[in-house]
Amino acid sequence: MFIAGFAVVWAVNLGTLPPAEFVFNNGTEVKTIDPAKATGVPEGRVINALYEGLLRSVPDGEPDELGRTPTKPKPVAMADSYQVSDDGTVYTFHIREDAKWSNGDSVTAIDFAWSWMRFLHPETASEYNYQLFYAKNASKFALVDLHEGDPVEVEMKDRPVAGQMFPRGTVRRGSLLALIQPPAEDSHTQDDGHGHGGSGISGTSIFVVEFDDKSEKTIQAFTTQSLDDEGIQALVKSYQGMHDLSELSSVEHVLFDFQHVGIKALSTHEFEVTLNSPTPYFPELVAFYPLHPVHRPSLEEHGDREFTKPGKIVGNGPFLLKERRIRDRLRLVKNEMYWNAPNVKLKSVDVLAIQSETTSLNMYLNGQLDWDTKPPNTLIPLLKERDDFVSTPFLACYFYRVNTSKPPLDNPLVRKALNMAIDKQTIVDSIVKGGQVPARSFVPPGMNGYQSGYCGEYDVEQAKRLLAEAGYPNGKGLPTIEILYNTADSHRDIAEVIQQDWKKNLGVDVSLRNLEWGTFLDTLRVGDYMVSRSGWIGDYADPNTFLDMFVTDGPNNQTKWSNSLYDEGIEKAKYESDPVRRMAIFKEMEQTLMDEQPIIPIYFYVSLNMVNSRVKGFTANLQDVHPLHLLSLDSEGAEP
Amino acid sequence: MQVLTFLFKRFGWMIITVWIVFTVSFFLMRQIPGGPLNGERVLSEAVRARLEARYNLDAPISEQYFTHLWNTVRLDFGPSFKMQDFTVNEVLAQGFPVSAALGILGMVFAITIGMTSGVVSAVRRNSVYDYSFMLLATLGIAIPNFVLAAMLIVIFVFNLQMFPAAGWGDISQIILPAFCLGAPFAGYIARLTRTGMLEVLGNDYIRTAYAKGLSPRTVVLKHGLRGALLPVVSYLGPAIAGILTGSLVLERIFVIPGMGSHFIEAAIQRDYTLAMGALLTYTVLLFVMNTLVDLAYSIIDPRVKLE
Repeated sequence: MFIAGFAVVWAVNLGTLPPAEFVFNNGTEVKTIDPAKATGVPEGRVINALYEGLLRSVPDGEPDELGRTPTKPKPVAMADSYQVSDDGTVYTFHIREDAKWSNGDSVTAIDFAWSWMRFLHPETASEYNYQLFYAKNASKFALVDLHEGDPVEVEMKDRPVAGQMFPRGTVRRGSLLALIQPPAEDSHTQDDGHGHGGSGISGTSIFVVEFDDKSEKTIQAFTTQSLDDEGIQALVKSYQGMHDLSELSSVEHVLFDFQHVGIKALSTHEFEVTLNSPTPYFPELVAFYPLHPVHRPSLEEHGDREFTKPGKIVGNGPFLLKERRIRDRLRLVKNEMYWNAPNVKLKSVDVLAIQSETTSLNMYLNGQLDWDTKPPNTLIPLLKERDDFVSTPFLACYFYRVNTSKPPLDNPLVRKALNMAIDKQTIVDSIVKGGQVPARSFVPPGMNGYQSGYCGEYDVEQAKRLLAEAGYPNGKGLPTIEILYNTADSHRDIAEVIQQDWKKNLGVDVSLRNLEWGTFLDTLRVGDYMVSRSGWIGDYADPNTFLDMFVTDGPNNQTKWSNSLYDEGIEKAKYESDPVRRMAIFKEMEQTLMDEQPIIPIYFYVSLNMVNSRVKGFTANLQDVHPLHLLSLDSEGAEP
Repeated sequence: MQVLTFLFKRFGWMIITVWIVFTVSFFLMRQIPGGPLNGERVLSEAVRARLEARYNLDAPISEQYFTHLWNTVRLDFGPSFKMQDFTVNEVLAQGFPVSAALGILGMVFAITIGMTSGVVSAVRRNSVYDYSFMLLATLGIAIPNFVLAAMLIVIFVFNLQMFPAAGWGDISQIILPAFCLGAPFAGYIARLTRTGMLEVLGNDYIRTAYAKGLSPRTVVLKHGLRGALLPVVSYLGPAIAGILTGSLVLERIFVIPGMGSHFIEAAIQRDYTLAMGALLTYTVLLFVMNTLVDLAYSIIDPRVKLE
């Protein structure tokens, strides 16, 4: 009994940690706090506190008619100003002189160039790396898209710390004379960890590189496979060309030379990015957390995973990571080295990882939380009456994907009929009940200068006519349509309403299938569904984040829908520098999307926050971002 | 000597069990649809290939099996898929003490409450105490712990405001979950103690003890309780297993960052390495606990032979 008592005291003491000044629920354990590897909203909240990019998306300007303050990427971050060239393709950022890392080092343009290189590096395998493919040659570097004549960098197998990506081995720069690949039919893209599987180049390739050192030219052949790899040996044997492969050597990487990528430190404080085309929302991307810099010396010292640990992490954001307890909390404290530290009001913040919405609300009501980021849906009607409930439509859409390869859904008339037969208003009023808005377009309203497309109101007569026109009068001849959703009560409730609507209005039989999240994603990916529940939260305030999803074979398309005019339009918008014309192109493309209806928009989400009245500086906005460094506490201290 | 042989044998069986659990779960995990790299955003082929290489998922399944097995033998469970800043060993090292504290306190509640009420019920047989304790015991067994948790939260958190709603950090936050965890086992233990006690109290040696003029307290606690302990001790094995698995749900409700949360999340998110680490830890733990219970049993009752 004594031992037991002792064990309890010991274990509890181990976990003793008085709460921070400001406590909020982040909803889940963050996957990582490494900006280059993170994805997701909860990760963003933490990374934006620990690190800071060149620009910051902050609420700015007058609230619109719904009380939403617009958010804008502004140079109130590592950069204190930036210029854009007249053709809109060259951005020059000036990094503020007093920008410091938390250990006192200066933040320089070189830090950014290095961090962005790491972000794009194929070995980092950043899921967001496409966000920077707007920079010149960036995609060639990231995807190892090499052609003969390209400048290349070769990383030797002499990394100072084995098994650690940084510091890199010796890098030699040259140009690619020849690329020897196995004939297409027997090329296998198997990857042993060093090859380039999945990109344009097979892992089993030999790179013949010419180096031009001090007027002396040398030519060498490299492979990223091991030399006893069967494929490589066969390739050497079958090769009949002018190059000498007898001194083939095995290296870590052969990549497009990063010095030829449009990302450059001009001086310690001037950072230049050259884009392929004018990209009006590029500042939004720069403010997005994957492009936040990391501290090179600490990463090289501690390695790719260890450098994020409390005590080792060096950041440049308003807060520092003091302590981290897995699936419990991250304790942040104010970073006194932050350039704008005098204006950061919170001294310590607890970021909790509570998954249960009910528990989270309990803790909020009990005064243990100052900010609850996801109150349970079922209680929204009650919570809505309270003053501390902060809610507003934001850039996110709940929609159904339609698999356009499955008859009868391959017929746009059927898809349109299905859309018009859904009573979205009822779903909003009686199921989700949080003030959500029925969606008549895919892109949510409220984006600056953009007028959304239109897919029609709830119109049963018109829906019936369309269905008859498609050859199924009163639903005769239509097979059972299956709605797929991931297991959650709210998704099931919505699917049931739609099931009834389609049955009642169109005479279509509908079955429901729910799958657990992991299985659901797999099923969606292989296209084994007819109609599937989906949602999308805009990454930045530009229609592109919604519309570029549905280009042919886009990674997030998943509807098998393909329209070459649409693809061209989305591509054209990338190169359009006139904002008005650009928005007009987007509008036209969204209308195409709505006319062909590979997706059925259901409603626009609203942000749902419970915020203690003692918290100041919390503004409802379009992207539902609430940077921690802008919050403060009322010293009067009102209780909930 | 006998004890050593027993322990040695048990250890051998444990190794075999762990290996079987490892093998079965290794292949089962890879059978279910979905994988650790699947997210809402579909990965580009290049990124997916890289990530597969990083986690050795691109190797043939047999090679993956043997690499993973060898690493497991060296007690290296590898990096967690879904918590990329941590290795599985780090996650388990943080989660285990938390679950241990919760489990131990739950067990302490179960034993103290259960045995006290069991003894009182037996001594005061058919009294109001007996009936009400046994009613409570039945309720404790019948009510699932998450329902009990909800009721206690309403009473103690919102009405009486005695405890915080959830979280992990100080002693007041551990009481409610530990109580919920221990309650059903307290119920069982109370009933077992009462039955055992009644049987013992009817024995001749108890009458002798009274006849010697010993106080009722000494008779009950010294002579009676020892005999009544046996069924309780033999129940501890399943009770520990129950406490371990019971904490899965409670950890979620009370936001306790223990093994249970890690295990559930790992299974849902297809975090192969973490799920395996947690599973094997549970296996070893159960084995060790059962062995300890068997040992304790032989100490209390010399008639029991270890084999």
